[in-house]
Amino acid sequence: MKPWLFRLPLAHLRQNPGRTLLGILGIALGTAVYLSISLAGATALKSFENGVTAVSGQAQWRLQGVGAPLNEALYPVVRRQAAVKAAAPVVESVLELAGPHRGPVLLLGIDPFSERAFRDYELSRAGDLSDAAWLDFLTRPDAVLLSRPLAARLHLKAGDPLPVLVGAKKRRLRVAGVFSSPSGLYPLDGAVMLMDLGPAQELLDRLGGLDYIDLMAAGDEALLPGDLQKLLPPGVEMVRPAAQGSRAQGLVASYRLNLAVLSAIALFVGMFLIYQSVTLSVVRRRREIGLLRTLGLTPGQVLTLFLAEGLVSGLLGGLIGLALGVGLAQGVLAVMTRNLTSLYMPVAAQAVLVQGGLLLQAWGLAVAATLVAALLPAREAARTQVRAVWHREELEEKIEARAGLIFGWGLVALILAGVGANWKMGDGPPWPGFVAAFLILLAFALFTPLAARLLGLGLQPVLGRRLGAAGDLGCRYLAGSLSRSAVSIAALACALGMLIAVTVMIGSFRRTVNDWVSRSISGDIFFGPAVFSTAAYDQFLPPEVAPELRLDPDVADIYLYRCVRLPFRDRYILVIGGSFEVLARHGGLWFRQGDTREIMGRVGEGGQGTGVRGQGPAAPFTNSPKLPSPTPYEEENVGAGLKPAPTEAPIKLAASSSFNQKPKTKNQKPFVVISEPLAETFHYKEGDTITLPTPSGPREVRVAGVFYDYRTDGPSIWMDIGLFRRYWQDTHLNAVRLYLKDPGKVPEVQARLQERYGDRYRLLALSHRDLRQGILNIFDETFALTYALEGVAVVVAVFGIITTFLVLVMERERELALLQAIGASRRQILGMVLVESGLASFLSFILGAACGSVLSLLLILVINKQAFGWTIHLYLTPGIYWQSLVLVMALGLAAAAYPAWRAIQPHLAAILKEE
Amino acid sequence: MIELAEVSKVYRRGPEEILALQEVDLEIASGEFVAITGKSGCGKSTLLHLIGGLEPASRGTVRLDGRDLARLREPELTRFRRDRVGVVFQSFNLLPLLTLLENVALPRVLQGASFEEARVEAGRWLREVGLEGRLNHRPHQVSGGEMQRAAIARALINSPAVVLADEPTGNLDSVTAAQVLELFSRLHREFMKTVVLVSHAPEVGNYASRVIRMQDGRLLP
Repeated sequence: MKPWLFRLPLAHLRQNPGRTLLGILGIALGTAVYLSISLAGATALKSFENGVTAVSGQAQWRLQGVGAPLNEALYPVVRRQAAVKAAAPVVESVLELAGPHRGPVLLLGIDPFSERAFRDYELSRAGDLSDAAWLDFLTRPDAVLLSRPLAARLHLKAGDPLPVLVGAKKRRLRVAGVFSSPSGLYPLDGAVMLMDLGPAQELLDRLGGLDYIDLMAAGDEALLPGDLQKLLPPGVEMVRPAAQGSRAQGLVASYRLNLAVLSAIALFVGMFLIYQSVTLSVVRRRREIGLLRTLGLTPGQVLTLFLAEGLVSGLLGGLIGLALGVGLAQGVLAVMTRNLTSLYMPVAAQAVLVQGGLLLQAWGLAVAATLVAALLPAREAARTQVRAVWHREELEEKIEARAGLIFGWGLVALILAGVGANWKMGDGPPWPGFVAAFLILLAFALFTPLAARLLGLGLQPVLGRRLGAAGDLGCRYLAGSLSRSAVSIAALACALGMLIAVTVMIGSFRRTVNDWVSRSISGDIFFGPAVFSTAAYDQFLPPEVAPELRLDPDVADIYLYRCVRLPFRDRYILVIGGSFEVLARHGGLWFRQGDTREIMGRVGEGGQGTGVRGQGPAAPFTNSPKLPSPTPYEEENVGAGLKPAPTEAPIKLAASSSFNQKPKTKNQKPFVVISEPLAETFHYKEGDTITLPTPSGPREVRVAGVFYDYRTDGPSIWMDIGLFRRYWQDTHLNAVRLYLKDPGKVPEVQARLQERYGDRYRLLALSHRDLRQGILNIFDETFALTYALEGVAVVVAVFGIITTFLVLVMERERELALLQAIGASRRQILGMVLVESGLASFLSFILGAACGSVLSLLLILVINKQAFGWTIHLYLTPGIYWQSLVLVMALGLAAAAYPAWRAIQPHLAAILKEE
Repeated sequence: MIELAEVSKVYRRGPEEILALQEVDLEIASGEFVAITGKSGCGKSTLLHLIGGLEPASRGTVRLDGRDLARLREPELTRFRRDRVGVVFQSFNLLPLLTLLENVALPRVLQGASFEEARVEAGRWLREVGLEGRLNHRPHQVSGGEMQRAAIARALINSPAVVLADEPTGNLDSVTAAQVLELFSRLHREFMKTVVLVSHAPEVGNYASRVIRMQDGRLLP
């Protein structure tokens, strides 16, 4: 094929700059949104992976507890083994900077003499550190080494103070020096500091405990687990360091996947624009195609020419999209890291990592999308016989004749969507659900031609009578211009459908969460450290606080709360210890079957102590780090050490009476309750037995109930705090809930708590209303990105509507001139254009609303359930339907305003020119 | 009565001025069938457009039944075109979306008639021009001659005082062209319409009561 032939499509693109520009912009926006989400997601995850790599260094294996620290006595035992070449003990925690600069910072407590084999930090005196800094680091209990990027960001040098928050406590550390990593890799994008192991254990209140021990094998690393197996006490697992990264990826996989799919919607809508543009081009250039075919152009060459026209839009739109996407990604990254940090795990990434692969992928997707969109009309052009290249009327007749068939294909797509929605595919991402969503969009797009025809013809008599010629012709044009208008209507309907679906889903989700907060979380005041993330499980309530609260005359009951995250199969789960007896009295947790009080009562009678009996092989020592109890509670009976309030009857604290009984019979397994996401992820139901890894070895527990849960940081198992303490040997508390004798005194008690603890600690006392609002605020911020994505899809669709009406009027210039020549007034012509655009917009709304309703059911009942394991209760949100109607009518009429204005200009010149 | 006094028409294309008509004086009496002939580009179509109020004169006055068209505002001009003038074009200019019946009915609908009424009248006019078997066909489904006959019916449905035809046989073969001219002649005789027909073909003179020849924007004596 002669290259100069490609001047033809280029010339046509130049000839229609407006249409070309809108097509390119549509693809550009779609590409930009897709790329920005991809880049931000990849950057956030890469930052996390860098952190994992930097922290794990050369470690081949890692010993870690299951949601509990390791006993530090394990370290010398392991290090002495012949199979172990090197071992390094570590404690770590994400703290919050308390100075003028805020944000999370990772504290690594290390043994500097064991570190060198594992991590490439320049820690020796020969490195960056001066002798004084080195000495400081080893001898001062508050000395830390800052990473070079962190020191640069905070403008700190050796000797400077560094205030941090450790849980609720404000601590003042001192910068001893700066370290650097030759590889350039740092956790949390450089927000990391090192501390000598002992002071770090003390700072973090983990004396005698380690978070992990990194290992390097002396021989074959694959044999190391076998060599060490017998030494390891129950509750210690040996994993590859990379497993932490992959489990973390699993935690956020659904979040990322959902955003990626939503971001592709804008590109999908952009495809309609290209389809429409190429179709119009085929129709307008029918004579040219006929001529070229007559002159010897083959069908393949015609196909190539039209594909090339689409391709130009794809290439250019894609390129512009890449530039826009890289720019947008910075903003998206900020939102995404905030979401990930507040919901899943601390993530810090300052600058977008522009990855060539992702740029190519986005560009390739844009080009592929345009080629697919251009293929259908280009094939039609190529297949058409020389003498019968489409005339507009023939094309219209063809579509009119096929409208029923196209509708039938739509029904087939809808049926297939139903099949996809009911197809369960193991535990992976809900791909059949996503395919079903695409098929639903496709189905409603295919319904459009027949719907437009029926609407136009159906309303023609009515509007003809009411509005005269304008109404009659407007209806006719809608019914008779399917080749032009149906595609735009379908594009807008799809974008609107997605907007409605996502809004209904989010609205239902929000109301469900709101109900969940009301029904699940009882208590008047929620009191705990002010943490930056819901996933800050190692931030504790100061130990003296709970006993002091118990003496408060306004407090009727206290619910104790402790949460740990632990690896369970290939995922992370949460194990939560709570005062079930308090729940039995006050309610809380929303079970999908059964009543909370009845279930809590059953759990109480279940012989909670059963779990303490030994399981697993005998170990040379236990993994209990024998942590000093930070509270006056006894491990077996938390309430026992407390004194009753002087003027009140003894207040029942959690984990007393039946909740802490010893096993009634030897074979009884203790009861737990599990969250719905855990039940869905691991296929558990009421009555099942779960073998739970605990620091005291695997324990079998029975599922007493499954409750709705919408926390994002993982599926969870809840047990009475007494049982938790026996299994975990851990008496820390993350927070407490206070039940007041007089709930009307909430502000008064809040003020008192602030007065009592405000100077010493950074604690937060939230009322139930504050908590609800806080949860809903996080919820709204999480979904802000989703709304933005849908907004872009609607903007792209509006481009389609503008193009359509512009082209409709431009193409009909002669017809409009003729109408004026035979006596049509401006008002009649204006009315005709507005009737047509109004009907097209209205039909977009009807199809979009129907499509959105079906999609919302799919999102709520299938995709969310499969991706997150959440049951969302459907709540209709009529507001979005009204808003969409107003939006689409306003947009549709506004989009037609300029073409309509053009239409009422005297067009006689056009017809006269022709004559 | 159509009166043109010292009418000129100038088109501007950038800096260039094209004088399409030069100081034309012309009177056409009611009921007359006038054929205007001349070579392509001589200004005959422009003359027709000025008479029909399709575009304004640059200089001079165009009067129809004593009304100066230059003094009419757009709504009045619209009404004038709709009620007093019927136009037939060379390329038929039927709306592809509508059937022949609907195309013919359209001017009546635009005039304010009900669709039912307009359809009845359109059917009558289509039978008048011999298209009773093509009422519900779309334009692209019929021949060129049939399209032009439908266009003539459309031009007549509002009972205009003047029928203007711009090269009505230009796109037709000679046999069909003769049939269309015969139709104009018959309609002129039966309905006493003033017909102004523009054509470059000299044979139109056989059907007209008066032939006016043009050259370079002027009427030849």
